[in-house]
Amino acid sequence: MFINWALQEINLKIVYYGPGMSGKTTNLEYIHSKLDSSVAGDLVSLKTKEDRTIFFDFLQLDVGRIKGKRPKFNLYTVPGQVFYASSRKIILKGVDGIVFVADSQKDRMDSNIETLLDLENNLSEEGMDIKVFPWVIQYNKRDLTGIESIDILQGELNRYKVPYFESVAVNGDGVFNTLKAIINSVILKAQKEL
Amino acid sequence: MSLLERDGSKKIEISSLQYDGIQKCLTELTQKTRATALLLSDINGQLIAQNGDTRQINTSVLSALAASDFAATSEMAKIVGEKARFRLLFHEGETNNVYLSNVGENHFLVIVFATSVTLGVIRVYTKKAVETLLEIVNNSSDADNGKEILNTEFNLHLNDALDSIFKK
Repeated sequence: MFINWALQEINLKIVYYGPGMSGKTTNLEYIHSKLDSSVAGDLVSLKTKEDRTIFFDFLQLDVGRIKGKRPKFNLYTVPGQVFYASSRKIILKGVDGIVFVADSQKDRMDSNIETLLDLENNLSEEGMDIKVFPWVIQYNKRDLTGIESIDILQGELNRYKVPYFESVAVNGDGVFNTLKAIINSVILKAQKEL
Repeated sequence: MSLLERDGSKKIEISSLQYDGIQKCLTELTQKTRATALLLSDINGQLIAQNGDTRQINTSVLSALAASDFAATSEMAKIVGEKARFRLLFHEGETNNVYLSNVGENHFLVIVFATSVTLGVIRVYTKKAVETLLEIVNNSSDADNGKEILNTEFNLHLNDALDSIFKK
């Protein structure tokens, strides 16, 4: 969280985390495509030639002045592929809230679990505790066949009972609900601490 | 200026006094170097202040990219056996150059300047400005602490605003 008292700005960093190909970039692309350019700035994607995220995607949301204050939300994704571990660590620095984008497909369960453990470890290395940190889970790709039930996903991935959302990010289903939930969690935490 | 929260996350605040000091320093640096634009950011890519002609530059994005530039090259520094990260980075273009300089451990300066400006001028004046900026960012002033920036009413209004802009 960064507060500029002179400009009455509060900046918060939200990171979309999850295994490779779970739909993190798709979330940001949908948000960018639907919002007015005065709210959502440029979407910057650092991708490989194969269209996979190599470092991060970045999108800033500026919702304008609210009661004289100007909240800005900096949305980042991490590269999901296992071998970009150091990039993920870098992007988590200074994070205020996390959306964990899980892939609902049965054969992706191990990747979901592995990436969640990676998140927990990376937060812990930065001195942050996932038990009290603002984060939500998005179960993506709910439109596909061969997906796990929500009960099983919840049992495997949501040990800390954080808010969760079902989504089909490519159509935008659940994308804004997830974003609103994490913004609210982050703001509530900020309120408690200010 | 930097406070550790209960969950381990960091809160960074810049007081009005610090902001004024930073702007004064950046304005002087812009004038002396004839740089096009200057940004001061924290090491995580959070833009703190900007100066010069930034109308054609998306400064939030530039700040985020510059932070990742520093982060990536500090890993390079480790790999080649440097003890600390590189102090400065320089990118040379056809018409514009970008010079990045550490401001202590937690901040950096981004200087965008035309190729007609000599690098030596940028280097000399930036070095002096970095000392001033370090003093300002390290001298945490609590003049604004305790000001109520977020309250329940703010939350309600924010939710209304989000509902309105997220409406398909």
